[in-house]
Amino acid sequence: MDDNKPNQTVIEAEVPMGTVHPAALEPYRVRLFVEDEIVRDAEITVGVNHRGVERIMEGLPVEKANSLTEKICGICSNSHIWNSCLVGEKALDIEVPERAQYIRIIMEELERLHSHCLYLAHGNEVLGHGTFSMRLFYIRETVMDLLGMIGGNRVQYGASILGGVRPRCELDDNRIQQLKDGMDLMEERLTAFADRFVSDPMIMSRITNVGVISQEDAIRLACTGPTLRATGVKKDLRTEMKEYEPFDFEVITQDGGDVKSQLLVRVFEIPESIKIIRQAIRDLPEGPITNRSWEMKDTPLTKSYIEVPRGTLYHSYALEDGRVRHCVIRTPSMANIGAMQHACIGHHITDAQLSIVQCDPCFTCTDRAIQIIKI
Amino acid sequence: MNITYSLIGVIGTLVVAFIVSLLLPGIERKFIHARIQQRVGPPITSPGIMAPIKFFFKQTISPNSPMPGLYNSLPLISLIVIMVLLVILIPEMYFLGAFASVIAIVGLLKVEEIMYMFMGSLSKSILSVRMPFPDMAKGAKHPETPRTFLEELSTLRAFRLIAFGSFPVYIALFVSVAVTGSIYLADIVAYQQQNGPILFTVAGALGAVVFFIGYMILLNEYPFAILKTKADVIEGPYLEYAAKYRSYVYLTRGFLMFVLATLFATLFLGIAPNILNPSFIITLVVALLFPMIMGVMSAFSPIFTYKQFYPTVAAVSILGVLAIVAAFL
Amino acid sequence: MSLKSYSRGRAVHVMLVYTGGCNGCDIEIVNCILSPKFDAEQYKVFLTWNPREADVLVVTGPVTKYNEGPLREIYQAIPEPKAVVAAGACALMGGVYKNCHGDIPSEEIAGPVDQIIPVDAKVPGCAVRPQDIVAGLVSALPLLLNAE
Repeated sequence: MDDNKPNQTVIEAEVPMGTVHPAALEPYRVRLFVEDEIVRDAEITVGVNHRGVERIMEGLPVEKANSLTEKICGICSNSHIWNSCLVGEKALDIEVPERAQYIRIIMEELERLHSHCLYLAHGNEVLGHGTFSMRLFYIRETVMDLLGMIGGNRVQYGASILGGVRPRCELDDNRIQQLKDGMDLMEERLTAFADRFVSDPMIMSRITNVGVISQEDAIRLACTGPTLRATGVKKDLRTEMKEYEPFDFEVITQDGGDVKSQLLVRVFEIPESIKIIRQAIRDLPEGPITNRSWEMKDTPLTKSYIEVPRGTLYHSYALEDGRVRHCVIRTPSMANIGAMQHACIGHHITDAQLSIVQCDPCFTCTDRAIQIIKI
Repeated sequence: MNITYSLIGVIGTLVVAFIVSLLLPGIERKFIHARIQQRVGPPITSPGIMAPIKFFFKQTISPNSPMPGLYNSLPLISLIVIMVLLVILIPEMYFLGAFASVIAIVGLLKVEEIMYMFMGSLSKSILSVRMPFPDMAKGAKHPETPRTFLEELSTLRAFRLIAFGSFPVYIALFVSVAVTGSIYLADIVAYQQQNGPILFTVAGALGAVVFFIGYMILLNEYPFAILKTKADVIEGPYLEYAAKYRSYVYLTRGFLMFVLATLFATLFLGIAPNILNPSFIITLVVALLFPMIMGVMSAFSPIFTYKQFYPTVAAVSILGVLAIVAAFL
Repeated sequence: MSLKSYSRGRAVHVMLVYTGGCNGCDIEIVNCILSPKFDAEQYKVFLTWNPREADVLVVTGPVTKYNEGPLREIYQAIPEPKAVVAAGACALMGGVYKNCHGDIPSEEIAGPVDQIIPVDAKVPGCAVRPQDIVAGLVSALPLLLNAE
């Protein structure tokens, strides 16, 4: 044994946290292995929330299965139902009207706005900054009202259906005006917040060089989404999706890979989303919003990847007699768990939860693994 | 006659202090935090008065602790300690001699801090190790590691607080000693009544800043709330207090807020707390002003980890040393 | 009104336990308490994360198998008097997860909540609206006020 190994760590104790913990919000268990108060190893237990959505989807009619995917996650519900519809549309060769595409994009970007606001609010709560957290919840209400206005429900709005969007989500002039006003309000409030946030010396000293994920590690651990972009990799699936082709936006990257970069990537992605929504409202084509002329048939396994607020979302299923078979869903947080565990290591235990939260975990999305218990 | 008069002074001061201290958490919450956060906020009586009364009427349960009796008596002990601290500040008690001196105050504050350590090591809350969860599953990492409760982490931090975290407040106490040349409260008050408050000297002004930071550290207010951050240890040492023992915890905190402000008024303004003295109103103003400034600071700052905590304490302590040096110049 | 009921009505500590819902209800409840728009604190409702401090337990989610034990333990840790508010369709009847195909029971769900701990107020909705949460808390209050 070489005693002078640089990476040698001594684990003195284990601090388990969860499944009920204020910094976590969601039920998950994290075991932190500490030396003094420095985290030397971490283990996040996935599976606490396992409800077996894929199993329930198995054998359901495809329309029902689509709306069930929305119940996987209450934050990015639109992403799930959109991607699930995309799988069905790809398999059944359904052409989606252009206006429906635009409305879907508007919903998706509104969702990204509220998801990022929630992420920043949660991040600030874990930082201990209650004022900013409340401010962000306040800003987020604007988007929630818009989503409630369009979809009829504040959380699960079920905009997409096979072949278009639900008639409820049609955008008339009144709604478009409200959207425009809402976006102006959001931009004004968020710009003021972002200026204040970036120039706060105490917050910046607290989050700089904490929870660092290097670019090599991020690629090795297969991170996706903003977590990957915060390490300097310019990869956003939106640039490759044909739905996003008409829109002009920038892919935001930061170089640090620490909590600061992670937070700033989200802060700067919010204006891009507002930009996309504005373009979509401006260029909103006329026409129908649903295509009902399609026929059910048996299809082989079809898959679809889209970029959602947290990263790359994968849905796939085959169709038999109009029913869903072999359904597999892979959510972005699943890919980021490795990074969360990695980011905790070497930092103070107060920063450990922050290092987990920085990757924007959504364990209700993630939990489809089953833990094997030693008997 | 004289003794009755003193007795009324001491008891009256205690009672007024107690009533004002009940209102302080509500004032901080309603007028500072809620105003900054642009919301309505709770009624002023709710956090400080109604919550302790409510806890008083709750079912007394045995806390999960190796020594439930001792654990439950600790908040009462710290309440008494703080009360003694207030009593020795009252001018009628200056006949106690060495007990009415800065040294005694340092000792009593240390006792208060040690309470956190006892509380932390005696509390075994449900929220970490005892949570019924199959951790030791097949493939779990490091299954042989000893497991610690969140409160034990808090104990570790309480120890650091005693070791050096509360340094600023003690240095600030000795600024007034350095200026007046005496450790006796009677001399300190008398000196300031002759020569004016030492707050308005260079040493005193520096000392006041140092005292204020120390006040926040001792009260565990954000950003110095290392003992009870929501990010890891939740409420730390207080996790297992329920029913009336929790109401003692609530009362202790409000009372400590008041007493530390009174201490400041005595040492830096030369106004000893006595209800029969008209200048008691200044003590009350200081007692209201301190939580307000603290509320503003805590609303605008995140929680500090050691990386920020150590330099802050070191810098403030150096400032305190400078204040003492300035006192001798 | 006695001092006991008066004080109980003027300071209500709420603890939240998430038991594996979809996050929708969870965030609406946090929203209801943290957001300045709803601000439950103006109704004398305070958020806590410590069962020893809590009066009202707000439970969301269908209670997955792993969450059953923690939920039960946390309920027992709350000193009397206490009330439980189950919020959201999942907490009330298991939601879409409980009965996956007709009568086949789900293997993953141990809930709904009232099979594990006694529930005093039920707030329906998928997801619950913040206004409904406050209404549900208020409807559970008489139980606290009139308790011994």
